[in-house]
Amino acid sequence: MIGMTPVLEARAISKRYGATVALSDVSFSLGAGEVCGLLGENGAGKSTLVKALSGVVPPDSGAMHLSGAPYRPSDINDAHRQGVATAFQELSLIPTLSVAINLFLPHPIVNFAGTVAWRRLEQDAADLLGKYGISAIDPLAPVADLPLGQRQRIEIVRAIARRPRLLLLDEPTAALADREWLFQLIARIVAEGTSILYISHKLDEIRRLCSRCIILRNGHKVLDRAVAAMSDEEIFRNMAGRSAVDRFVVVPSSVRAEAPPALRVTHLVGEGVDDISFSLQPGEILGVAGLEGQGQSRLFKSLVGLHPLRDGQIEVAGTPRILRSPRAARALGVVLVPEERKSEGIFKDLTTVANISLPAIEGASVWGLLNHRRERTLVRPVAAAVDLPEQFLPRGITALSGGNQQKAMLGRALIAAARCLLLFDPTRGVDVGAKQSIYRMMRDFVRDGGAILFYSTELDELVHLCDRCLVLYRNRVVGEVPRAALTQEQILSLAAGHAAPPVPAAAVPA
Amino acid sequence: MAQVAPADFLRTLKGAAVSLPGRLSRFAPAVGPTVAVVLYLVMYSVYAANESGALSLFGIGNLLNDTVVLAVAAAGLTLTVLTAEFDLSGIGVIAIANVVVATTSGGTAGWLVSLIAVLAVGAAVGLLNGWLVGVVRLQSLAVTIGTMIACEGVALMILAAPGGEVAGSIVNGLTGNVAGIPVAALVIVGILGLWFVLASTRFGIALYAVGTDENAAQLSGLAVRRTRLLAFVLAGAAYGFAGYMLSAQTGSGDPRASDSFLLFMYASAAIGGTSLMGGRGGVFGSVIGAGILTVMQKMLFALGAASFYTNVFSGIIMLVSILIGTLPTLLARLRPPRTA
Amino acid sequence: MTRRSAAPGETAAAMPDAPGRLRRLRNPALLPPVIVLACAILLIIATKLMNPGAGFGQQLAAVLVTSVFLVVAAFGQGLTILIGGIDLSIGIVIGIAAMMISVLTDGRDAALPWAVPLTLATGGAIGGVNGAGIALAGVPPFIMTLASGITFFGVGLGFTSGLAQEPVAPALGLLMSGHCYGVPIPILLIIAFAVAASVFQNGTAVGRKLYAIGSSAGAARVLGLPIAGLTILVYTLSGLCAAIAGLLLAGYSSAATLDMGTPLLLPTIAAVVIGGASVVGGSGTYFGTFAGAVFLSALGTVITVLSLSQGLRNVIEGAIIVVALLSQGDRWRQLWTWLQPQKRGRT
Repeated sequence: MIGMTPVLEARAISKRYGATVALSDVSFSLGAGEVCGLLGENGAGKSTLVKALSGVVPPDSGAMHLSGAPYRPSDINDAHRQGVATAFQELSLIPTLSVAINLFLPHPIVNFAGTVAWRRLEQDAADLLGKYGISAIDPLAPVADLPLGQRQRIEIVRAIARRPRLLLLDEPTAALADREWLFQLIARIVAEGTSILYISHKLDEIRRLCSRCIILRNGHKVLDRAVAAMSDEEIFRNMAGRSAVDRFVVVPSSVRAEAPPALRVTHLVGEGVDDISFSLQPGEILGVAGLEGQGQSRLFKSLVGLHPLRDGQIEVAGTPRILRSPRAARALGVVLVPEERKSEGIFKDLTTVANISLPAIEGASVWGLLNHRRERTLVRPVAAAVDLPEQFLPRGITALSGGNQQKAMLGRALIAAARCLLLFDPTRGVDVGAKQSIYRMMRDFVRDGGAILFYSTELDELVHLCDRCLVLYRNRVVGEVPRAALTQEQILSLAAGHAAPPVPAAAVPA
Repeated sequence: MAQVAPADFLRTLKGAAVSLPGRLSRFAPAVGPTVAVVLYLVMYSVYAANESGALSLFGIGNLLNDTVVLAVAAAGLTLTVLTAEFDLSGIGVIAIANVVVATTSGGTAGWLVSLIAVLAVGAAVGLLNGWLVGVVRLQSLAVTIGTMIACEGVALMILAAPGGEVAGSIVNGLTGNVAGIPVAALVIVGILGLWFVLASTRFGIALYAVGTDENAAQLSGLAVRRTRLLAFVLAGAAYGFAGYMLSAQTGSGDPRASDSFLLFMYASAAIGGTSLMGGRGGVFGSVIGAGILTVMQKMLFALGAASFYTNVFSGIIMLVSILIGTLPTLLARLRPPRTA
Repeated sequence: MTRRSAAPGETAAAMPDAPGRLRRLRNPALLPPVIVLACAILLIIATKLMNPGAGFGQQLAAVLVTSVFLVVAAFGQGLTILIGGIDLSIGIVIGIAAMMISVLTDGRDAALPWAVPLTLATGGAIGGVNGAGIALAGVPPFIMTLASGITFFGVGLGFTSGLAQEPVAPALGLLMSGHCYGVPIPILLIIAFAVAASVFQNGTAVGRKLYAIGSSAGAARVLGLPIAGLTILVYTLSGLCAAIAGLLLAGYSSAATLDMGTPLLLPTIAAVVIGGASVVGGSGTYFGTFAGAVFLSALGTVITVLSLSQGLRNVIEGAIIVVALLSQGDRWRQLWTWLQPQKRGRT
């Protein structure tokens, strides 16, 4: 790359959203045909950087150059014209439109009358799908009818088909089962001279594809170096801002094996839940692992009646129960902290204290009239239990950081006298400090005899926090790993569906 | 056309169907219009069986004349509904158009002057709505209530009480026949033709995309603001034209003539299978919906039912069509999911 | 109709949770209603200046008495909007209630003890049907209330054969024109109603849950709030309030027609919007709705005093709704914050 003008040069890019600094003085450059990894925890500023580069949001300050020429995209189409295309993480396809139309948005081919030339469009779409090795997809199918993995492929193919100089891939393998397809595609277009900024949090992908990687933390660039020169430990430390090793405190297991199980399910069957059985003791953290879309979300929802079950039995504290609604589950002490904090967790128009107190609001009122002092008295101890500073309580919940919002969600779960928490990826989009608070709250909760069913996308959390871990693959439990044997490799091989499930001891680990 | 083999032709049709109005995703949204067409035919048959003149040219022309105003207005409304916005300003624009025609259509070129005037007024109101909703991002329901009230006020200021006179050329020209075909039929066919062309233009596709998922549309590079703006402008022009047609029917101006229209405009769209959540449905369904509401009145009258049944039936049909429209979604939820 | 989210400052304010009273007064959500109420008072003062014959108190009383229908009916509308819905049947329920009470009493006070509860129950029942259709059958509120409005109007026509002008029980008329310790009874009614409504919406556990449902239906579902039950409750209350407004309107006009409530429908929505609530739900206070209702009523009085035409009156009302929206829009706030550093930069 020496002596050549870099394809992309970004200088001191900054972006603020209100009080939050999303990007601060980020500078880097990208050579022709280079694949550069972009790493960072959730909320580190990766998505904002992608948005700034792809023309979705203009940066507040800083300058960008493409092959030496100033690059200030006015919108995403302008970015396309200048040779920058993006495959977005959240997928930018229109579900009700066909694959063919989606591939050629925003400007599908039109004939002389200004109407879409359907036959040519379809032909072109079929050609394009064939060229990139996904001819199995029907160009006429509405995108809504395709599974997530195929939608992700279409999103990627659409970006590549714009023949960009610079391609931005934002978590392109989040829903892809067959990563080799993407890796081969990347090799092909890099050979043609395209540069790629590859955003991922999967280290193995970064090591395989990228020569160099950039790490963002809290909106700052903290590292920009050749990947081969760094150990995993070094990368983790830079992402998290501390050593990966000391993130977890080892505590003795508090499982109460002699007590009746806090939650026991046998042969649960429902849509996306295929014959699942497990038992959760008081004092136990039972992990659930699995790649995206292996039925974990439906399993958690079905346990509180948000997802219908066709068959199976649920016992709470030793008694068979029917949990028809989250309300019924809560009455028995089973509380779900859901996956989507934004759409299923927070009430954006309410204050933090009101968000937390809602399940116990009757207890804060006299003859139906709210008593604000009582409400605070109820909320204060649970806020303390999740390390939520008291000065945040009167503020609107949307004014809080993701981490503090999540603490409030956990506080809400605790306020209802929960005995069994179902935590679905509680540390997603949460800063390191909040993660520690959440881990501590989990340990305290089980120490006091509570039980936790814990799904996480972060394997190291599962390895370090769980007493046992179930691994899901295609809606079934394919393995149960006891604490002693719990390693990331073990979980991964089971989760990928490759290894034959080891037969675990039926006994609960001591 | 000769080279197009039948199989190819079918495939093209299917391809068009994928993104054409009301046939967006397999059978689900197509249920609305299909049910509506069946319902229309049933009601029409009942009507024809009980009314001797129903099948005569005069009878048909009469029915279409009664349908056309609502059909045109509902067609305009559908464009805004497809982008997942409300537009209540329609009746205000129709009121202005009606009094404008009643006060300006005299003279030799009066029909043309007033036509241009009503289209311009409609487009201008649409532009204001579209700017406030699409660009400034205010809540469409509240904005269009405001413009609707203001427009009705303007209509009252132009003509405080029913009166004025619509030029005979308009009355005779638009309610009669051309070459044996009722003008109303030509107008309806013209609106449908325009719609089918519009629906396969880039704007038409953007209309559905914006209504389905605004964020994805933006990331796909579609001009979300401009699409909404244009939808409101076209809707406004359609309301203006609907007011023009109304004037031809009534022959005079009445600032309050359109007061009851709003409910029936939305009813037409709902019966025709257009989702208020945006992105599903289309003008075809709405025109059929307007037809149903009109033929229903005729049918009930022919059956000798008291006039209040018309209201009861309109409401019930609206609800039933919505419930039928939601059935496929409910069924789809029961289908096993496919994983990657 | 989903996307516009309110700014944090405004949202936090939807629930007056701050400890001290002082803090509550600084609550930014209270600002729009206070400004609206101030505008209403300015309008009344203006009327007084233009019409020096009448005293300020008299003008105020006149405005308040005519605002009673809107104050009552807009409460129901505000609740449906709060949970992310809308009630388009209000106008028709008002008409049905007015007709019912006059037909049932036929000018006799003796019939009131059973006619009033029956009328109110009918209004509530229509609302309940709306709520059930929305909560249980999943029909969008706009369509459900539109359709039930059309349907029940038809039913009303069927019962009354479209006849109008029944005599109304004189006691109802007395209620609207009488005085109690020199204060017009409608004003006492307004005060009692406004206090009760405000306490219900902003001071009870149920009210809090309604804010939660309007704020995020998804989160309310996961939390296990009784969404269906509360939705039915809200629409039932809306029907009930419309029926109360209908009774009062019949008493005030001492006559009834089936469509006499129709002109009140849009002002109920306008009052809620002018009061600072978001049409997509989750925010606003009853105090705001009340201020909006009084303001619209004061505006009507000014226009009457100025003897402006009905047309100009509509134009002004429409423009005020749009201006109220513009002044609350996020865009406006953005523009404001965007202007400030610019100014500082220049000086």
